[in-house]
Amino acid sequence: MASAAVAISLDPAATASTRPEQATHVRLEGFEGPLALLLALIEQRQLDVLTVRLGDLAGAYLEAVARIEEGRLGLLSSFVAVCAQLILIKSRALLPRPPAADGGEAAAGEIDPEEELRQRLIEYRLYRDAGRLLGERLGARVTLFHREADTAAAAGHAGAIPDEAEPLDAALLADALLASLRLVPPAPPRPETVARTITLEERASAIRDALRQAPQFVLQELLSGVRDRIVVAVTFLALLELARGHEVVIEQGEPWGPIYVRPAEHAAGPR
Amino acid sequence: MAEAARLVPVMAAAEQAEPPAEHAPGELTVGQLEALLFVAERPLSRREIATLAGVERAVVDAALGDLEVTLREHGLRLVTAGERVQLVTAPEAGALIARYVGADALRLSTAALETLAIVAYRQPVTRGVVERIRGVDSEYVLRTLVHRRLVVEQGRADTPGRPILYGTGFEFLERFGLTSLDDLPPLEPEAALRLDE
Repeated sequence: MASAAVAISLDPAATASTRPEQATHVRLEGFEGPLALLLALIEQRQLDVLTVRLGDLAGAYLEAVARIEEGRLGLLSSFVAVCAQLILIKSRALLPRPPAADGGEAAAGEIDPEEELRQRLIEYRLYRDAGRLLGERLGARVTLFHREADTAAAAGHAGAIPDEAEPLDAALLADALLASLRLVPPAPPRPETVARTITLEERASAIRDALRQAPQFVLQELLSGVRDRIVVAVTFLALLELARGHEVVIEQGEPWGPIYVRPAEHAAGPR
Repeated sequence: MAEAARLVPVMAAAEQAEPPAEHAPGELTVGQLEALLFVAERPLSRREIATLAGVERAVVDAALGDLEVTLREHGLRLVTAGERVQLVTAPEAGALIARYVGADALRLSTAALETLAIVAYRQPVTRGVVERIRGVDSEYVLRTLVHRRLVVEQGRADTPGRPILYGTGFEFLERFGLTSLDDLPPLEPEAALRLDE
């Protein structure tokens, strides 16, 4: 394990190229978070979280993050934060450290980003592993059941055998059903309803009727008593149909104004 | 069914019991406690039992301790969550009872399990702490756990914004076959030690 860490630390850039399959074969779907991903990269390389040089993993981590599907971009920000930290760690490792004496107290109080990330990884791993143990308990089916009123009903649904009583004759149920039917007075016949259909033809003849009674009419007046929007719409359609067939002429002076309708042969006549 | 129906009036009367009446028997044997918990279809608080039996809290605590020991050789266990206790079936009977009631095995995602672990070991805990440990937004997964009653809200923290504090309840203990939070497997010692440094 230690030798593996050393091998990688010798040439961080070579890691990805010498072991490309390891660097790329991390399945991202399984990783809900950046720490889970980073930890998996470490464990996949059989490295020790306590000693691994985290900066060396920046390349592999970036590569894995780059493959996050677009659908999960919402998660990306948390991954990017760890990316940034890894790059910071890596760059710090490359730069010569300032002499401790100059820094004085500030340097002493400063948090090492690598140690900070390492602590987070260790803490995360603690609960991830505890979660795995909990998952194993679920698999072992060790549920404790308490008494509740619903238990008997639930067991009934699950097909538990109620007791050893003789099964009841199905005819009994049928008889009881018939008997109860006789108790109930027959329901009054439902009023017959006929679906109303409004046809273009019907509305067109209504328009023709109106024109027979007067040389012209205003559409709004013809429909003034109608509250059914379908009738209004179909009448309007019928009107357009008649106009298209050069049977009537439609005039409207202004938007929302009265719509005048008159027979086509009166088109040239006075309004 | 008929027996259960006859028991109902007894329970109804007991629930109405006011502070210990003069005629209260003032005793609580382990057998009586066991019988009471057997009939109860919900967790009972220690205070509630003390009031019902007309005894001091300490008597209830002692009887509960004795009952727990007695039950070890039986198919029942005592689940304790804080102030409340409930009689449940033993973990080794879990699979059998699950078949009887037709209970499905609970399946939880990795994210749900690790979140649940954080809540279980760190409770009471805020969403902020869960997210700091996991390094990722955990609102949805927490909401799912609350919906499944594995995680329960336990009031609010006295910090700015008064965030909700989460913990585990009876459902969690029962689902994972734990009779109390003390039953939780200890966190991996080496890592736990390092964290304390």
